[in-house]
Amino acid sequence: MSAISVTCRRTLSRARSLFATVLAVPGFAAASAALFAFRLEAAEGTRQTIAVVWATSAAPFLPVLAAFLAMDVWSDERRTGRMSLLLSTAVRERDFVLGKALGVWLASAAAAALSLVFALGSLAFFAPSALADVRLVAFGPAMFALLMQSALWCAASVAFSAMFSRAFAAACASVTALAVLPRCLWAAAMLWSSSGRPAFGEMPLDAQVADFAAGVVSTGAVVTFAALTAMSLFIAAKCVALTRFSGRRSGKWRFSTAVAMALSVALAVSVSVLAFRLDETLDLPVGNVVTFSQRMRHILSESSGRVAVTAFLPRNAPLFKPVSHFLRTLKRQADSAGGLTMTLYFVDPKWDLGAAERLVRLGAKENSVVFEKGHRSVVLPLDDSFGDRPVASAIQRVAMPPRRRDVYWTTGHGEAAFDSYGTWGLSDIARELARSGYRNMTLDLSADKAIPSDCALIVIAGAKESFSRAELGRIDAYLKGGGRLLVMMGQPGETGVASILPSWGIRPVVQPLVGVRTLSGSDVIVSDFTDHPIGSQLAGSRIVLEKPLSFASSAVAESGSGADRLEFSQVARVGQSAVAAAVERGGTVGSDLAVRPTRIVAIGDPSFVLNGQLASRANANRDFFLNAVAYLSGADTFGSSGLEVDALSTGMDRDARVRFAIVTVAGLPGVVFLLLAAVAMRRRRRG
Amino acid sequence: MLEIRNLAFAYSRAPVLRDVSFVVSPGEVVVVVGGNGAGKTTLLRILATLAVPDAGLVLADGDNAFERPLRYRRQLGYMPENPALYEDMTVKEYLAYRASLKGEPAKRVRRRISEASEMCQIDGLLRSAIGRLSFGQRKRVALADAILLRPRVLLLDDFLSGLDTSMRDAAGSVLSEAASFSSVIVAGHEISDLVKCATRFLVLRDGIISTSIEAAGVSADELERRVRAALAGGVS
Repeated sequence: MSAISVTCRRTLSRARSLFATVLAVPGFAAASAALFAFRLEAAEGTRQTIAVVWATSAAPFLPVLAAFLAMDVWSDERRTGRMSLLLSTAVRERDFVLGKALGVWLASAAAAALSLVFALGSLAFFAPSALADVRLVAFGPAMFALLMQSALWCAASVAFSAMFSRAFAAACASVTALAVLPRCLWAAAMLWSSSGRPAFGEMPLDAQVADFAAGVVSTGAVVTFAALTAMSLFIAAKCVALTRFSGRRSGKWRFSTAVAMALSVALAVSVSVLAFRLDETLDLPVGNVVTFSQRMRHILSESSGRVAVTAFLPRNAPLFKPVSHFLRTLKRQADSAGGLTMTLYFVDPKWDLGAAERLVRLGAKENSVVFEKGHRSVVLPLDDSFGDRPVASAIQRVAMPPRRRDVYWTTGHGEAAFDSYGTWGLSDIARELARSGYRNMTLDLSADKAIPSDCALIVIAGAKESFSRAELGRIDAYLKGGGRLLVMMGQPGETGVASILPSWGIRPVVQPLVGVRTLSGSDVIVSDFTDHPIGSQLAGSRIVLEKPLSFASSAVAESGSGADRLEFSQVARVGQSAVAAAVERGGTVGSDLAVRPTRIVAIGDPSFVLNGQLASRANANRDFFLNAVAYLSGADTFGSSGLEVDALSTGMDRDARVRFAIVTVAGLPGVVFLLLAAVAMRRRRRG
Repeated sequence: MLEIRNLAFAYSRAPVLRDVSFVVSPGEVVVVVGGNGAGKTTLLRILATLAVPDAGLVLADGDNAFERPLRYRRQLGYMPENPALYEDMTVKEYLAYRASLKGEPAKRVRRRISEASEMCQIDGLLRSAIGRLSFGQRKRVALADAILLRPRVLLLDDFLSGLDTSMRDAAGSVLSEAASFSSVIVAGHEISDLVKCATRFLVLRDGIISTSIEAAGVSADELERRVRAALAGGVS
């Protein structure tokens, strides 16, 4: 048996009797489970997989776990004098270090596996639907990423343990250097540079875990972690060897050891830089790396003709591989859909000068994708927003006949503004409308002007101040002329908007709705959509409404006949309460008599499409709003869900979430604590 | 054969060993004596390659121990002054662990443990947890560890302290048996016990071997008297 395996087995065996292990392993399981429960709720309706949520929940606590597991592997040997016994054997220092690091790493891996078992086991019990399409192999890259990072944390913690003769000092140094310092530095850098976060995204350590868990494996990251791990092991071995040098010449030995350590750091950094320069990104088929929304599939199948798609970026650009992968997958999707014929071109601005000049004339800049059909073209910049949604809109705009539609947003009553880019603005959703061919306009009803004739619909986005009687009269007159209104109201009765709705068949109900599927209760998750065009394509998706209102039909609904008949429809429901409702007058005779039917859609608070909400949750809110606009403007052909089909869904209500959190955070780690404590007590009692 | 040539060592500016030279042949039991702080433990730590000398050589069969340390340590058995053992292990587990660590094949480990435990009279303690052993019993376990693989160089630092009378009496036979396969170097103060088994005494004073006293042909009492005299400052 080699010295490495003997030392590794001894380290594992000793870990069982340490109270540090008894506390660290259940503590890690509890902390990662708490973050998992929190992130799971935040990830509802997003494209994140369970593997990504789990891995990013466990990763931040791995350095702390490694620090506690490794804190006494060397410091205890030094303090007790056992170092002499070890170093007098015919075993190299590096073999001792490797064996001890391996033992700590295996214990760390066992804790990570335990965390996964707890997460999956609890989900299987509380939310079996969340695991319906989940394969265990999908957790492979996630576990690999955690083990890769864990190897570095364990090696570095072993090195710290070799530097200190007090285990607690070693643990403190490890936690500070590996967990606290990197995150503090990152936070400070983000504070210092306000534009840093959007430019760099999440902290690299977390982002790497998320990428690996999603199947996007970077060879540069793997090599870098391997190099840093090797460097840490080398430094640990040198620290152990230094204990032999205590005489007059120790200064010389210490200096040469310090030089060797500095060279190892320089070598590891050089290897890391080189690895990232030659980085290859592998797409493993475990996560939903490229999947297309129902809306995209609908557009591809319903459109016809030939669309030229040109990626205009250098071939050595970092974005080239992911973008070309996305476009090739899109082409395959288009070919299989049988509607649109897509031709792909890749133009390098530095080499394909003729093609580049033509693209520049179309208004394209470097790092963009150009969609062309006939004389129509749309240029999409390759920024953070590039993906399914803007590409679908671009294809729709070039493939479908152009149609000018103006959306008028009322102003002057404290409404959320479509040209506001802050958290409380609507610029994101307005940009989506613009991408889909709409023009966003401001409507000032206080000016004594008629509502423009080109108005496709009016949007009232959460007015806080009262509309004057004249303003309400203008809206009413506009509706009587076949107008369209999307009203998102705060609380009924405050602005007067609610007063005109009953005469159009909608009655806001003053009845607080509490979300039973969220921990706060103020957010309501809605997944019950009726067959109304706005929601019919959103089956399987969910929208999150904050402080929702419910709507009922008023007395005039379903009355009248022919062009005067008012049809009230529930669009989305929570239980029996409609949280979004639509009314149509004259819809049944529209096609025969060319009567433009009046349409009104009422939803509660507009916060569900504010920039802050859309940025933090990738749910179907955006699609719900776009579908409402499409329905009101008469373009309800593309009312499909823009949300990817494999969005995360646990289906847990609030009580289930609370039970899930209690079991995963306290219950299962508590059982592990008791078991480990019993083992440690037994071994200690024996000693 | 172990040859120590002109060994010098100093902690910071205080010299501990200035010029130490001697040779230990196979079968010899050399006892190094000296006052407190004379450098006995330092000398044995250097011989165990736990400290690097400032000058001088340690040659094992002609090979420099610090140039080929692994080869040298394979022939080495070392028992430190205060052996710290793993208290969560039983004696048998500990000896098995140490034998595996020293590279002994698994199939021979049991036999080695049996031989060493018999020599050190710890047969009855093999299943006992080390944490429950007395200081003297732990010393015997540490001695068993040192002779476990029948090393060619055996270094025992103050190994009689803490041992009971019966084990002190038996120490002579243990060392004699160890000398059959080792060059034994012992550091200690228990002259009256060590004269029974030593083949030579080396008196360490002021960083040099001040006196070398051969045991052959000298009675135990006379040997003890000479050693004590040398320690007190006289030359015999």
